[in-house]
Amino acid sequence: MRKLLKIYKPFTHAGVLLAAQYRVNFVFFVLGDILMCFINFFLWKAVFNSGGAETFMGFSQTDMVVYIFVSFLTSTLAYSDGAYAVGEEIRDGNIAMRMIKPIRFDLAFLFQELGERTISLMLAFLPLVCGVEIYKFAVTGALAFNPLNFVLYLLSLVLSYLINFYFNVCFGYSAFVLKNLWGSNFLKDVLVGFMSGNIIPLNFMPSAVGTVLGFLPFASLTYTPVMIYLGMFDAPTIALRFGLQLFWLAFFFVLQQLIWNASVKRMSVQGG
Amino acid sequence: MIHVQNLKKEFKKTVKEPGLKGSIKSFFKPKNEIITAVDDISFDVSAGEILGFIGPNGAGKSTVIKMLTGILTPTSGSCEINGKIPYKNRKSYVKEIGVVFGQRTQLWWDLALRETYTVLKEIYEVDDESFKKRMAFLNEVLELESFITSPVRTLSLGQRMRADIAASLLHSPKVLFLDEPTIGLDVVVKDNIRQAIKSINENEKTTVILTTHDLQDVENLCDRIVMIDKGKKVFDGGIDLLKQSYGQSRELRFVPVAVSDADKLNYGREFSLGESDLRVENDGHTVSVRFNNDKVSVEKILSYTLKTLHVKDISVTDADIEEIIKGIYKSGVSPDA
Repeated sequence: MRKLLKIYKPFTHAGVLLAAQYRVNFVFFVLGDILMCFINFFLWKAVFNSGGAETFMGFSQTDMVVYIFVSFLTSTLAYSDGAYAVGEEIRDGNIAMRMIKPIRFDLAFLFQELGERTISLMLAFLPLVCGVEIYKFAVTGALAFNPLNFVLYLLSLVLSYLINFYFNVCFGYSAFVLKNLWGSNFLKDVLVGFMSGNIIPLNFMPSAVGTVLGFLPFASLTYTPVMIYLGMFDAPTIALRFGLQLFWLAFFFVLQQLIWNASVKRMSVQGG
Repeated sequence: MIHVQNLKKEFKKTVKEPGLKGSIKSFFKPKNEIITAVDDISFDVSAGEILGFIGPNGAGKSTVIKMLTGILTPTSGSCEINGKIPYKNRKSYVKEIGVVFGQRTQLWWDLALRETYTVLKEIYEVDDESFKKRMAFLNEVLELESFITSPVRTLSLGQRMRADIAASLLHSPKVLFLDEPTIGLDVVVKDNIRQAIKSINENEKTTVILTTHDLQDVENLCDRIVMIDKGKKVFDGGIDLLKQSYGQSRELRFVPVAVSDADKLNYGREFSLGESDLRVENDGHTVSVRFNNDKVSVEKILSYTLKTLHVKDISVTDADIEEIIKGIYKSGVSPDA
């Protein structure tokens, strides 16, 4: 384990340096996301105002606001560029340069992305969590911060990121067949955004659809951590949810390994 | 050291008919075609040797290198390097080799060059002491000092290539694969790189396999050449052998005082040379005579020419390796065929 860290740590370090290189780019990216976030916020505000009811599907207006911002935070932190990065290396043939190094392809990407993530973590995490808690305090007048939920949320967030990473790596490997991922990547982002509960909470869906989506891996990405943060799950549900997260993580990890082993045998390197 | 036996690689390629209609058709019903990029190639390389791998574009050189470095898995046949099979145990195998693909870089594009070396140091588990020594050595041979703090994307092609070669040598590999290491470089940088390769080969007995289109590389560096064309091996041997097998021809060029005098010469009858051993061209100003040096000596040709007519200028040139190889690429004939 220590050896593993020693070998892949430089990738994290390089990731930090890379993210720092393109920090302006990153700021624009986050600004765009925050804008989306506020559009969502005003949309739901209108829904609550026109409905007139105190709660909607078990969510108060405050819950909804917290859901919007925490789901934004979660999806930003658990975001993985893996599909694009992997697909691009396969497309332009630079995957060859990785293969001549005594390293695991997936871990090199993982550690590099973790490095790139640290900056977004620092920039987005604290202000957003504080903002959300202050908002809750201002509206309800009571300090409702639950440290246990918060710790569980962090744990769930880490799992969410890892699932997302390996899911994206699997997806990226489809470039071995498709050669170019531009179109399919876009479709994937939209579908995952919807099925992960990023746009609307999954329990707003018709119950059959909601149940099915709840067991799919995408629910583990945003819906699970956010509901834990909100304290909307009881203890057995939390246990089940963590179980599902672990299951999907193992599933995608094994899947990417299988795809990799099969692809390497039939690989042709594009371009020279 | 390196043992390659009946190596073969086939690729499946989708054939697309031209135009939009063709695109749509191949989208729904792709037609595949099998292309044999490398066809039954065998050769051996002993430790400390520099082997030049040459052939026209698309001959399959890079594909062979990719199989030898563990990137591609051969369709059939085998290769064994240092007792290891590249594609079977990639991670432990690549620790012992260094690879440079001239058209790509293994450096981190956005980071300072020095950062790449620290990353590589950890990947290859080089200890601090040897790393320091190694960097000093590479610095001396490849002169990295002036740009080691610059981001890689700002390096010139020549600097980048030197940096890439240094990166491939950081862990003191036993075998070094260089795929077109001098592509696109100016004469001075090419020369630097050749010197560096030579000194590394001499100092550390590193086995080097090199593909190139620059025959100066071959003449200056290689002990031996393997030439492939359309995936097949057409020549294997030293440069001397290549010159002997193909390069017997020499060329005599002269400018006669009176052009009409040239008609007086008849090399064919004088030395009883057949068509294949003699070719005479006269462009109305200069006469060039290509002849087989095995059949008739330079001295005899010269004295016969000078006896028969007066010349303003005369010269004899050796067939250079470029001419020879151009000949082989064009005809594609192997010596044993």
